[in-house]
Parts: sequence; C-alpha cells; structure tokens
Amino acid sequence: LAEPETYDLLVAGGGPAGLAAAAPTAPPGLSVGLVDERITLGGQIYKQMGPGFIVRDPAALGPDYLRGRALIEAAQASGAALLTGTSVLAVSGEEVVLVRDGEPARTVTARRLLLAAGAHDRPVAFPGWTLPGVLTAGGAQTLVKTQRVLPGAAILFAGSGPLALAFPAQLHGYGANVQLVLEAGPPPRPADVARMAAAAPGNVGLLRDAVRYRAQLLRGRVPLRYRRIVVRAEGDGRVESVTHAAVDADWRVVPGTEETAAVDTLCLGYGFVPSVELPRLAGCAFAYDEHRGGPVVRVDEWMRTTVPTVFAAGDGTGVEGSYVAVDEGRLAAIGVAVDLGALDAASAREAAAPVRARLARKRAFARALRRMHAIGPGIYELAGDPQTVVCRCEEVRRATLDDAIASSRDANVVKGLTRAGMGLCQGRNCQRQIAALIAAAHGGSVADVAAATPRLPARPVALGQIARVPDEDMGRFQ
Amino acid sequence: MSAPAMAHRDARIPLLAAQRADAVLPASTDVLVIGGGVAGAALAYDLARAGTDVVLVERGELNREASGTNAGSIHLQIAIHQLMGTFATDAPRLLEETRLAVRAAEMWHALEDELDGPVDMHVTGGLMIADTDDEAELLVAKQRLEAEAGLETFVLEGDALRERAPYLGPSARAATWCPLEGHVNPLVAGPLFALRAADHGATIRTGTDVRSITPLDGGGFRVQTGAGVVHAARVVNAAGAWAAELAAMVGLTLPMFRMGLHVNVTEPRARLLEPLIQHIGRRLTLKQAANGSFIIGGGWPSREAPVPQRYTTGWTSTAGNAAVAIDVVPALADVRLLRTWSGVMGWTRDVAPIVGESARVPGYHVLAVFSSGYTMTPILARALAAQMTTTGAPALPAAYSPDREGPPT
Repeated sequence: LAEPETYDLLVAGGGPAGLAAAAPTAPPGLSVGLVDERITLGGQIYKQMGPGFIVRDPAALGPDYLRGRALIEAAQASGAALLTGTSVLAVSGEEVVLVRDGEPARTVTARRLLLAAGAHDRPVAFPGWTLPGVLTAGGAQTLVKTQRVLPGAAILFAGSGPLALAFPAQLHGYGANVQLVLEAGPPPRPADVARMAAAAPGNVGLLRDAVRYRAQLLRGRVPLRYRRIVVRAEGDGRVESVTHAAVDADWRVVPGTEETAAVDTLCLGYGFVPSVELPRLAGCAFAYDEHRGGPVVRVDEWMRTTVPTVFAAGDGTGVEGSYVAVDEGRLAAIGVAVDLGALDAASAREAAAPVRARLARKRAFARALRRMHAIGPGIYELAGDPQTVVCRCEEVRRATLDDAIASSRDANVVKGLTRAGMGLCQGRNCQRQIAALIAAAHGGSVADVAAATPRLPARPVALGQIARVPDEDMGRFQ
Repeated sequence: MSAPAMAHRDARIPLLAAQRADAVLPASTDVLVIGGGVAGAALAYDLARAGTDVVLVERGELNREASGTNAGSIHLQIAIHQLMGTFATDAPRLLEETRLAVRAAEMWHALEDELDGPVDMHVTGGLMIADTDDEAELLVAKQRLEAEAGLETFVLEGDALRERAPYLGPSARAATWCPLEGHVNPLVAGPLFALRAADHGATIRTGTDVRSITPLDGGGFRVQTGAGVVHAARVVNAAGAWAAELAAMVGLTLPMFRMGLHVNVTEPRARLLEPLIQHIGRRLTLKQAANGSFIIGGGWPSREAPVPQRYTTGWTSTAGNAAVAIDVVPALADVRLLRTWSGVMGWTRDVAPIVGESARVPGYHVLAVFSSGYTMTPILARALAAQMTTTGAPALPAAYSPDREGPPT
C-alpha cells in the first residue's frame, strides 16, 4: 500500500490568498500542499501566460504581473508541494478528494485545510445574455492574459465597481477597440474621493491605480457613462447590438432612456461573487453581505471557519480584492501554525501584528470603495421578460421559474421542478438569480433564501477517474 | 431541446399548487392523513374520490423526501433485497409480491389517463444482470417464479444478450429481460395525486407537523399539530421513513429502520441505452433519463442528518457506485459525474410493507411501503383506501400488519 498522502496544511486555490499562505511566513516543519485547478499559479488576478509563451520583459506587463510573479516565486521557493492542474472534488473532515487532469482521483489527509478558492464574475441574467459574444470580464481577461487574444472587434463594457475602470483600461492598453464603458453607479463625488483618501493612508498604490485607469480611458477617448446598465443584447447567432438604459440609485431602469450600440462584443463586469462550493461542502457557516459578493464564509480573527480544521482566506470570505487576500492568507498560515503547535501564541501575535495593521487599512479602503460602488437590487430585475433564459445549462426560462416559485419558496423544490441549476455549471450561474426571484415572489431578501443542498462533486469529473470499489466491498451483496 | 418538449415540461410545474401552508385546518375530519409523499397523496386521492372527508397534513413541503428523491424506476422483477432465505423458502411471499407488482404496473400504465396529467411514464423494459454462474442460476429460479405470478420475463445469454444490450461489459454473463419495466417522473407523480385529491375536496396543508396523537374514549383521535388541534375519526400514518416516530405516539412499535441512499447523476449524453439496468448480485440500478443523463444508484448508503438537513452524500459511495456502473456498462468511464443526491428511505426488517389498520389501536392505520416503494405505493394506497371505504373489500395480507413485531433487530 502506498504511503497515505498527508499534509499539515492543504491550501485550495493558488491565487493571492493561497500563494501568500503557502509562502514562507509559516515556520518550517509544516508540510504544505497548494492545489490549483489551473496549470499555472496566480489565480485570476495574477493569471500567467499559457504554455508556449515566453516573457522577455516582465516589467512591460505591468505592476500586477510583477506582484504576482513575486508571490508565485515565493511559493515555489517555500518547499510546498505545488499541485497544479488539480481540482478538489470533495471535503469531509480531514479527508479531501483531489483529482489531477486525466488521472484517477485520490483521497488525501489535510490536518488543516485553507479554502482560498476566490471569486468568480457575478452572473447577470438579461435578455440575450447567453448569446455568443457576451462574456464576463474574467473570461475576457483570461483570453488576454493567457493567450494574448482580444475578445472582439468592437467592445462594449458594462459593469460597476473598481473593475469598471480598470478592466476596460487594461483592454484598451492591449489595443482593443473599446467603444463604450457603462458604469451602473454614480460618478465619483469629491466627498467620496476625500473619504477614500482619508481611508487610504498606506493605500496610495491603490488610489494611484484608480487614477491611472481613469486617465488611460480619457487619453484613449473611450466614453465612460455613469448610471447606465445593460438591458438587452441582440443579434442573429451572436451579438450585433447592445441596448442600455439609465438607472436610478437602486440600479432600476428609468423608462424611456434606452439607447442601442452596434458592437460585436459585450463584456460584463458587475463585480464578483465568492466561490462557495468548497466551504459549503465542508459545512462552514456563512453570513450574507451583498456588497462583498453575497454569501461570505464566517471566520474568526485567525481566518478559522466554524469548522475547526477548516480555514478560509481571500475573496471567498468576502470580495475585497487581492491586497486584502494576500494578508488574509498570511494570517491564516500563522493561525494554522499555532493550531498545529508549530508556533507559540506570543510569536504568532507578534508576526500577525503588522499584517493586521495593513489589513485594517486595506479593509477601510475596500469599505470606502464599496460605498461608492454599492450593488443595486435592480441587478436582479434585468431578467424581466418571461422568455429570458435564467438557467443557461438547462435552458430554463423566467416564466417556467415563476410557475415553480409560485408553488414553493424552497430552492430545492424549484430546482427539482424546473431542472434549473442541475447542469454543467452546477448552479453557479443561476442560483443567486433564482434566490432573488424567490425573495421577490415571497417577500424577504435574497439573503433569507436558503441555497439548495450542497452536493458532491465540486467539479464535474469523469466516472472513470473516480471509480473505486471500497475496501470492504459494498458493491456485492453477501 | 425541442419546443414542444419544453412546453410539456412547463405544464407540469403548477402541480404543486395543491399545497397550501395557509389552508384552513378543519377542527374535525373523518380521516387525517399524515405525510405528503406519494403514499399520503395517493391515499388522499382515493379516499376523497370515494367521498370520504379527508385532511392531509405535511411537515415540510409535498413530495420532498423519498417520494421526490428516488429515481422513479418502475421495478417489477424480484430484486435480491427481497430475498430473506432462498427462492424456494421465500416462494409464497415472493409470488404474492410479484402478483402485486403486476397490478402496480397496470395501475402506473393507466395513471396518466386516470389522473388526466403527466407522470412521464416510459415503458423501456428492464434488465437484471448476472455475472457469475451462481447468479445466473438465481436468474433462472427467479424467472420461473415470475412466470408463475404472471410477470413476463426472459432469461438472455450469449448472443441474445449482446444483441439486446451491446453496451454491457464482458463481466455480464446473463440477464433477465422484463418488457414491462420503465420509469416515471417522481417529481410530478406525487404532486399530481395531491392536486387531484384537492380537486375531489381533500384539504392539503403543508408546513404542519404532528406533535401528538391521542386515542379518545369512544373512538377517534385528538391530533395536536403545529397549526392547531384536529379531531379525526381515523388516522393514517403515511410518514414514510419517519413512520415509526408517528406510530410511537400511539404506542405502536414498527419493525423498521431508516437509511439514506446515494445516487450519482452524470452530464447528458447521446442515447446509449433505453432500459433500466439492475444487478442480481451487486449494488446497481442504472438508467439514462429522457434528457440523456445517467442516473446511477442501487443501494449505496449516505449519512443520516437531522431534519431539515438533507442526507449527506459521501465519497465512498460516490466512487463505489461509479465502479460498479463502469464494470457493467464500460462506456460510462468517460461520462462526467455532475451531481450526487441522496434520499432517505425506510426499510422493514422482514422486507414486507406496513399497510393496514392496527387491531391494538382501532382507527389507526399505517401506509408505509419500502421495498420498491415507489412502484408499489399507489397500488397499496388503493388497497388500503378500499379497506377504509368499502365493506367486504379484499383483506390485506396479515404479513403487512402494523401490529407485527417483525424479526429482532
């Protein structure tokens, strides 16, 4: 029998939080594994170029790239086992099931598990959102960062939050024809900027980034329009036009303000939502905060979840960006080290003090940003037409969901009746929208609608990769 | 998906309209049915249709437990879990169960017309696979009993088997083929019964738990629910996996236990197989649903969790279930698992269902059907309803009595 694969700390997710946790802030003596489903580390924000690309001038790729390289190199030097191309399928106690691309799944033991799976683009359903040519900011970023491919010839970017400036600016920097940028929120007022500046001592870099992106768009003469939202994408087989409209403070469409733009690509960036599959499977408790992405894992001061052996860091505990994620990852690593007896409490407090101080500043900045870019409830009301597809995997339309929701407010019942959420994306794209429809029909808020029961596997996986007859054969009747 | 199929699907969704968490709970009724699964709904339908005053209460929502978390297979062939001893020693009981299964199939086949609504009945036929010579002998003995009971099955081997089922792997040595087997949609059949029960005047009230049942001097029961007191001349315990708890409220001990069952569901694929696939010696039930997904189960356990949490699916069953499925149908190896789910089922220690009136607590009835429970429940609900509404209706087998203690645990 092979030696059982055991880690003192298994980190799920190779983005900023996971990389920082695996890097050498943890004292030696702990065996660390770092899992990421992509073949390169860095996560979404520090996504590396695909195989076959050689970077000759790293500085030319910008400060984010350099920050990411530094984190990756630190993790590589740390002695942690780097398990790339590997997905987590299941979590139960200290048992974690991993599968590497094309290989049989295996169960490893993780004395402590750090969930740092990050966030994904907030899915937004509206008529035409499933047309080819509509893509998320994350998807477009992957094309650009890993393959140097531009998503289309004429791009409309619609979104909100810091990314609504940063991403089109980046795209423009890569030579993309960004025709129009829509921000659902208001233009920044002097008071907001002042508040941010007050919150920002020590965050000069972040403010500088925002200013830089804004200036870049202005220089490129890319029109930026505030308080407008996408309402419809149309075209024969792919996007040919996008209609947008003015919104009020709640992001509700103001009638009679529609305008249509002829573009072939619609890129959406309405912020991010935490990836909740793994913490839900692990049984962690959640809080709800729409402005940090919705369902956020509850953690204590050492980033420990309500399941004692499971920690969480980064956007999964509330979307606050890469700077916060890095420090949360460091804090979690220190917490795990104390937990496993590799570090005494006094040293841990000392090591954590500067991290906590930085975190406090960066969180204050993130809070100020959130005040400027609060998500409006109107985001859930764009799928107003009965024919709008809400669950794209199973092609379930709004009208079908309305019928089911009229008879039950239980998300499991609605799922069973309509098949919405049973497809390949396992509900990632439609679950929140359906929760919002349930809340609207039965009263209450999205936060009050219990999500459908979490079920294995966290990622689709070939039966041949997981097949294994148990040691005591339950497969044959005696 | 084609447009007509979509429209058909949409038409089913308002079925749950029968359920009401705010229906007025009457102060008294002739029959109080406890449990909103397919058992309670089918019985309420049959009773209401016969003109009986009936109220159904359900703790959660209709059809949420075993009735809505099974795979909807209409299993008619004798399965290995029905066997207590050998086919020879168990013959009388198995004959009776198989005769009932034939009647159950007839009822399911006619149900869409009777209820004037969809249950998505697909008669696909079913195969029961054997790997070893011993298992193949079991199939032959089983086929003889089934023939005697009036259920048509055929033993297939060699070329005949490969021709019928070219997707079977090399380990399959023989199979019985039962043309009448198939599947229904368990998400709509139970709610359709409930809707028709309501059409016939039954009161259906969800979100209403039962807290105590007190037999009254002079007959009848005082039932304390979460929504007030109901006086009922008769009570039917149709609480499925929780029937023992409801029976204990009147001092009865049912010979049953509870178990969670694991199911693997894959991505949809092009049509590979039509029939239900079961195994005579291994934990496997398998079919390819109308949308192309493979639904794979067969008795792999899942962990119990208290209500309202659902049973937790675990990795050992996920992986073991997959292994057996690939062994029997090798082409499944590259099909991706999308989801797992688990329902909870009751089981009796003597394999027989619990159906009938208690002699010890007159007026207290149980309708709890477990082995092939989904297939057999409507026909047994009908038999119990006949008992409750018609003098001289055929007696239910003594083996089904709620007063039996059953074999020791």
